[in-house]
Amino acid sequence: MPQGAYLRLLLFFLGPAVLVYTLFSIYPLLATILNSFYSRQSDGSHLWAGLGNFHTLLLDPTWSGPFWNALKNNVIFFLIHMSVQNPIGLLLAALLSLPRLRFRATYRTLIFMPTMLSVVVIGFVWQLILSPLWGIARMFLNFFGLGFLFAPWLGVESSALITVSLISVWQFVGIPMILIYTALLAIPDELIDAATVDGLNQFQAFMWVKLPLIWPTIGLVSILTFVNNFNAFDLIYAMKGALAGPNFSTDIMGTLFYRTFFGNQLQLGNPAMGSAIATMMLIIILIGVMAYLFLVQRRIQRYSF
Amino acid sequence: MAEVVIGKLSKSFGAVEVLKDIDLAVEDGSFVVLVGPSGCGKSTLLRSIAGLEPVTGGSISIGGREVNGLAPAQRGIAMVFQSYALYPHMDVAANMGFGLKFAGAPKAEIAARVQEAARILQLEPLLKRRPRELSGGQRQRVAIGRAIVRKPQVFLFDEPLSNLDAALRVNTRVEIARLHKMLAATIVYVTHDQVEAMTLADKIVVMNHGRIEQQGKPLDLYYRPANLFVAGFIGSPAMNFLKGEAVAGGVGLGADGLISLPLPPGTAPGAHVTLGIRPEHMRIAAGEGGLRLPATVDLVERLGETGFVHLRLASGAVAIAEIRGETGLKTGDRTHVALDPARLHLFGADGRRLG
Ligand SMILES: Nc1ncnc2c1ncn2[C@@H]1O[C@H](COP(=O)(O)OP(=O)(O)OP(=O)(O)O)[C@@H](O)[C@H]1O
Ligand SMILES: [Mg+2]
Repeated sequence: MPQGAYLRLLLFFLGPAVLVYTLFSIYPLLATILNSFYSRQSDGSHLWAGLGNFHTLLLDPTWSGPFWNALKNNVIFFLIHMSVQNPIGLLLAALLSLPRLRFRATYRTLIFMPTMLSVVVIGFVWQLILSPLWGIARMFLNFFGLGFLFAPWLGVESSALITVSLISVWQFVGIPMILIYTALLAIPDELIDAATVDGLNQFQAFMWVKLPLIWPTIGLVSILTFVNNFNAFDLIYAMKGALAGPNFSTDIMGTLFYRTFFGNQLQLGNPAMGSAIATMMLIIILIGVMAYLFLVQRRIQRYSF
Repeated sequence: MAEVVIGKLSKSFGAVEVLKDIDLAVEDGSFVVLVGPSGCGKSTLLRSIAGLEPVTGGSISIGGREVNGLAPAQRGIAMVFQSYALYPHMDVAANMGFGLKFAGAPKAEIAARVQEAARILQLEPLLKRRPRELSGGQRQRVAIGRAIVRKPQVFLFDEPLSNLDAALRVNTRVEIARLHKMLAATIVYVTHDQVEAMTLADKIVVMNHGRIEQQGKPLDLYYRPANLFVAGFIGSPAMNFLKGEAVAGGVGLGADGLISLPLPPGTAPGAHVTLGIRPEHMRIAAGEGGLRLPATVDLVERLGETGFVHLRLASGAVAIAEIRGETGLKTGDRTHVALDPARLHLFGADGRRLG
């Protein structure tokens, strides 16, 4: 093929994707990073600030307090997903792949359903369920004589973040389940037969044969969880508003960024500081993904059958 | 090593009866090959022996011990699967020793037995490799090695060579025959391949629709098939069948004339019978008389030293005859085909062998 034709072909196939990607992903990203190096004066002009915004964000008590609080909450948010959502997803996937299970498709659909619902709907429904005034959670607990356990979980500082995290877990548990289930299905039956002949029971075959073969998928699920959690915003915003109450106890990076950038109630929007927060989020996610790629992924190899 | 005795075994998947009334004895140290068309239940029978499929009825005993209620690992069997089923995340040595490790054998003993099996199968240089770093033939040897390491009473093979190319299949077949002799192992072996069945087996079991059609020594099945199914299944190309009816002094083939041969006593005149003859027992010959039938050549397939002529007989029936050496035959030639009277098989209307 002549070089000109080749280039035209290249442009034809790659052009649209490159254009869209540049316009909506690369440009905003670079603009945000650039923005974080300027500070905005009261007269509306921009001034080069170097790393000043980051200095303020990390060291100035009025900024660093909310920042470290949001980061801490975000880490907790992520740890709850890692320790609850993904193990439950793994367990459900293992149960779904039991050979003698009936109504498999029904379970799969039901568990996956919340994932497809709008976060706003989920947030609203759970707020109603957990409401101390008319929520059915209280009645439900009363019915089993466990009414004393009830508390306005979403309204108490010590439990609000955990509650919101668990709601998010409930919504998204279908994703690790489906991914891991698919990986389990790809394991040939004969391999498990061989393990049975070798004297392993079903549980042992899972632990010693299936689990090692799905480590790559579990790693993938973990990194997806990490990226999603540190970009999370919508559920908190839908349930607790931009102020992420009570008393910022559910504030995560996404909500902090939103308030800072766009402003909220008495707080004026500050695009420069907002960009600095967004850049910090990018750096945190980058560090996490790098750590995964270089430390974890190398160890869990893909196995071919 | 031990014998396997299967009595009145049946197996259903839901309403589908896959194995019916299987009676089979595998003698100590013998090599039994299960053959049959796809879906006839060979794998199911093998998996029932292994304990991987619960059976619906009947009994299985290995070495004089009924094993119906026992888990696969307690039955003293080892199985080699068609896809090899090696653990992808373990190296060759770990693959071979995995069963022993779970049985709680001491490390030193596992290592010794793995080493021994590796020596027998010339796998020593490969012990530290993972399955994906092995060729198909090497994987197959590892799978066999994994079976040997367990020192089973019975080896079960399910189409172990079907994923190998032709040359490797021949080598591995010879290898398996050698192993059988060396280990004096009892082996039950499933295959689609006639050559494997004929060369390896002490006893061939022909299955169809979940039943055993016939079992016996390879040449017995070849020379005295018990029914039309076995006659058609064993041998390649398949035996020719000519439909006719019993008449005084022979079999009337309609337009093809009369084949005179002694009918077994009790054959009612007028009964529908089928005459069977293998391609290698038919000769292209000019002239008339004896067991000769006029035929037209449809197609000539030349394989070199031998070849096959597809013939159309006067009645419209088709037959294949083997030819040796060079002949000038070509499509459309009119000729005669001579049947070797000593090699004729006669089957009754129910498909069973007569006489
Ligand atoms: N788990 C199962 N559930 C239902 N039917 C099954 C199951 N396994 C096998 N069968 C049926 O049992 C019959 C025998 O299957 P089997 O695998 O034993 O055949 P096979 O003789 O080994 O065939 P092949 O030569 O193709 O391997 C088939 O008709 C198959 O459809
Ligand atoms: Mg089979």
